[in-house]
Amino acid sequence: MTLIAEETLVQELQREESRTKAFEVLVNTYKERLYWHIRRIVLDHDDTDDVLQNTFIKVYRNIHKFKGDSKLYSWMYRIATNESLTFLKQKSKKLGITDRELKDRMVENLQADVYFEGDEIQIKLQKALSSLPDKQKLVFTMKYFQEMKYKDIAEALDTSEGALKASYHLAVKKIEAYLKEN
Amino acid sequence: MKKDKKNSFNTPEGYFESFNGRLMDKIKEEEAKELISVIPKTDGFAVPDDYFEKVESDIISKTSRKEVKVVPLISNRNFYYTVAAIAAIFILIFSITGNPTSDPISFDDLANSEIEAYLEDTEFEMTSYELAEVVSMEEIELSDILDDDLEEVIIMEYLNENVEDFQDLNLEDIDYE
Repeated sequence: MTLIAEETLVQELQREESRTKAFEVLVNTYKERLYWHIRRIVLDHDDTDDVLQNTFIKVYRNIHKFKGDSKLYSWMYRIATNESLTFLKQKSKKLGITDRELKDRMVENLQADVYFEGDEIQIKLQKALSSLPDKQKLVFTMKYFQEMKYKDIAEALDTSEGALKASYHLAVKKIEAYLKEN
Repeated sequence: MKKDKKNSFNTPEGYFESFNGRLMDKIKEEEAKELISVIPKTDGFAVPDDYFEKVESDIISKTSRKEVKVVPLISNRNFYYTVAAIAAIFILIFSITGNPTSDPISFDDLANSEIEAYLEDTEFEMTSYELAEVVSMEEIELSDILDDDLEEVIIMEYLNENVEDFQDLNLEDIDYE
């Protein structure tokens, strides 16, 4: 979506009479990208579905607060990231386990997940990813699998591009080391 | 050999002419290295068939639901007027008919069982230790908490059965005078 098209969409979303139609366009345009972003954080399909729906509902309810300082796309990524991380925190609290234990359990559950078609190497990759700090993992998946530009990632995660590049390269090194060792 | 007029450094013949080509080769080499990285290119996640078609309608239906406007219970003055009117009617009725019972209800009218049940069922904010601190033992007699006075014989029997060592009674310090 071009910048002009995005600006027009935001204006339509903020106007009561064109809101519903514009929201349909928004969901249609971003549902897949946001789904994959969330899925790579929460791993389970059903959990992703819940978080994705909540993300769009939050976007719909808060669109009047969007000031256009960043791209709509990065703003939604930010909401999706926050919703996903909050979801995981609540889940570990509900289960009475630590964040670390939850991450291990999430990777273990992948092997029985009907919507996970990965092999042994993909399971190892998830184990490597779960050992990284949240930010490094986010940067890695956004760059490596979602092929986002550093500039867009920086806006979505509210960090400088320089710091992101360093995080990415560090993450690549750690993952490679993990995969070679195991 | 090309010579820089401003300093004495030299570069090999054709260095700048061939620089772009060499740089591109280096970039390709780096990219090729990335390709043979041990990190897999896909992460193996899948979605159910038609999920993305379905989720769109799910989201739209959730957001298009009319938000129910929450009306505060005490919304306006009419509420207060209604309450005041009802209260006025009751006062009027009682003032005309008088109090139906002649004797006012007192503490004595409460059955002991009701008081005990209340004490047992109610969670007081004070523990028994805290209560003991505020209730002065000097002002309380044994007879205040016992229905019947204990006869000396009963006390002696109790002591005989339950006290193994008379030292426990700390009788030494008692001043018998």
